[in-house]
Amino acid sequence: MNIAVCVCQVPDTASVIGYVDGAMDCSRVNEVMNPYDEYALEEAVLFRERFQGTSVTVFSVASDSAKEVLRKALAMGADSAVLVSCREEVTDPMQTAQELSRAISGFYSGVLPDLVFCGKQSTDFQSAQVPSMLAEMLGMAFVYGVTSLNCSGDLLRIEREIEGGVEYIDVMCPAVLSAEKGLNTPRHTSIRAVMEARKKPFSILPFSLHEKPFVVMTGIEPVARKKKCCIVPDEKELIRILSQACNVL
Amino acid sequence: MITAVKNKFLVFLEQREGVVKKASISAWNRAQELAALRGNSVVSGVLAGPADTRQLEGIMAGDGVIYHAKEERLRFYSQEYYARLVEDILKREACTALFFADTVMSRELAPKLSVRLQASLLSGCPVLNSDEDGGCFRPVYSGSFLASFAAARHQQIYILPSRAPAPACFSGGEINVIDCEPQGFATDEVFPVVRQIVMHAGRPDVAEAGIIVAGGRGMGSAEGFVLLEQLASLLGGSVGASRAAVDEGWRPHAEQIGQTGKTVAPALYVACGISGAVQHLAGIGSAGIVVAINSDRHAPIFDVADYGLVGDVHIVLPKLLDLLKEFLKKQ
Repeated sequence: MNIAVCVCQVPDTASVIGYVDGAMDCSRVNEVMNPYDEYALEEAVLFRERFQGTSVTVFSVASDSAKEVLRKALAMGADSAVLVSCREEVTDPMQTAQELSRAISGFYSGVLPDLVFCGKQSTDFQSAQVPSMLAEMLGMAFVYGVTSLNCSGDLLRIEREIEGGVEYIDVMCPAVLSAEKGLNTPRHTSIRAVMEARKKPFSILPFSLHEKPFVVMTGIEPVARKKKCCIVPDEKELIRILSQACNVL
Repeated sequence: MITAVKNKFLVFLEQREGVVKKASISAWNRAQELAALRGNSVVSGVLAGPADTRQLEGIMAGDGVIYHAKEERLRFYSQEYYARLVEDILKREACTALFFADTVMSRELAPKLSVRLQASLLSGCPVLNSDEDGGCFRPVYSGSFLASFAAARHQQIYILPSRAPAPACFSGGEINVIDCEPQGFATDEVFPVVRQIVMHAGRPDVAEAGIIVAGGRGMGSAEGFVLLEQLASLLGGSVGASRAAVDEGWRPHAEQIGQTGKTVAPALYVACGISGAVQHLAGIGSAGIVVAINSDRHAPIFDVADYGLVGDVHIVLPKLLDLLKEFLKKQ
C-alpha cells in the first residue's frame, strides 16, 4: 500500500510574530509541523505498522526551512520525504495543491497512491482548502475532518464531526482524507529514530509552477485586540448587565 | 431605464433532515447585503434535497429565485451529486459568485468547485469588499493579524464564517421557489456514501449558538461543567470548552473553541475559568459581548473581555445561578 502525507510548517503558537516597517517579522518565530498534519502522519504510520508492505512518503511545498519538519516526519516513521522547494511561502492554496498534485503524480509515476492523508487545515491561515483541491486534481475521493478510521480491504469506514452530530461515511480507496483532532495521539520521536531518519531518502524538487495564483494576499497588519474590561463587583451586578447591556434575559 | 445585471450571486442552501441551516440563511442575507451595496445585482439560491421551503418565508431577505432539486436521492449529502448540481445551476444562470456558509459540507464542496470552475476561493472572510474586485479581509495567525486578499479570477467562491450579531433581516422581498431537475446522474459511479448520521440531542452546536457559556481548566473537573450546563440552559445557550478542558477529557472535542477547535461568533460569550491563551482567543475574535469570570485578575482573558468578574468560578457560579433563577421567576 502506498500512502502519501502532505505536511506544512506553521509558526509555533507560543512564539510572537513581530511587525516592523509595515511587514511581518518572523525572525523570532519557531516553525513547527502543523498540528493537524501530525494527526495525518500518525495515522499513516499506524497503517504502515498494521499492513505489511506499506510505504509512507511525506510531501511539502515550502521554503527550505521546512526540511526540519520533514526530518521530524521521517523520525516519526515515514519512509521518504519530498520537498517542493520555493523561495517564499506559498499563500495561495490552489498553487500549493497544484504543486502537491504534480509532486505526488511524479513520485508514483502516474499511479494513484492508495491513500493521501492531510491535516484538515493549517493553523496559520486556516483556509482548509488544499486537501479537497488536491483530491479533485488527482481524481480521488475526499473526506474532510476524519476523527475515526477503519480499513478493511479497499473499504474505509469513517467517522467525522458535523455541526451538531456525527456522520458515518463509507468510501473506497484511493482517497484523500483530512485529519481532525481526535483521530489519534501523535507519537514522540526518540533520539534513535531521529538518527535513523538521516539515512532515509530525501528529495528536493524545484517549484515548477507556471499558473498564476487564484487568490493574492495584498496586505497584512497587526490587530489590536485589547478591550477596556469593565470589572463588575458582584453577581447581582453581572445579572443586571446581562439583562440590560447584553439584552439576553 | 433598464440597467444590465452586473453581478449574479448564487447561494448554496444547506439542508439536513429537510431543514435549511440557519448559517445558510445568514449567508443568503449577507449576499443580499453585498448585492445591495454593489447595485445591479441579483441573488439566487440552490437547495439540494427534499425540504419544506415554506420555512424560509419571512426569514430570507430581498428578492430572489431558489432552485430546488427535490429529488429523493439528494436527501442525504452526496459530495459529487451536490457539486454537480451547484455547478449546473451556476453555469446555467451564468453566476459570477457563489456563497457558502462555513460548514463541513462547504469545506468539501467549495474547494472542489473552485478547481472545476477555475474560480478564486476566499474562505473565512467576515468582511467582503463592496467594490468589484471581489476581495476580502480576514484574520490570520490566530487572529493576531488581519490580511487582505484579492480574487485573481473573474468568478469567485466565498465561504462565509458565522458572525455576530446576526445581520438585520430586511423583509418585503419576494422569494420564488422553482423546481429543478439535476443533470448528469449516473448509477454506476462509486462515491463516498453517508451511511448514518447521529445528531446530538438538545442544544444547538457551539458553532451556531447565539449564546455560549464556556469553561476551561479553572472548572476543575467534568463535574464542574454541570454548573455551566445549568447556566447555559437558563440563558438559552450552548456549552463550549477550552482546549485544556477537552484535553483533560472533561468535554468532547465537538465543543472545543479555539485554534484546534471551532471558531465561534455568538452575540454573548461567557468565559468561566478560562485564562485566555492566544490559541483560545483565536476562536472568539468575532464574538459580540465577552464576559469573563476568573480568579486571576491578570489573566489575559480580561484583556479581550467587555465585562469581568474576579472570583473563583466554584463560588461565583452557584451564586449567579441562584440569583438568575430568582430574577427569571420575577419576570
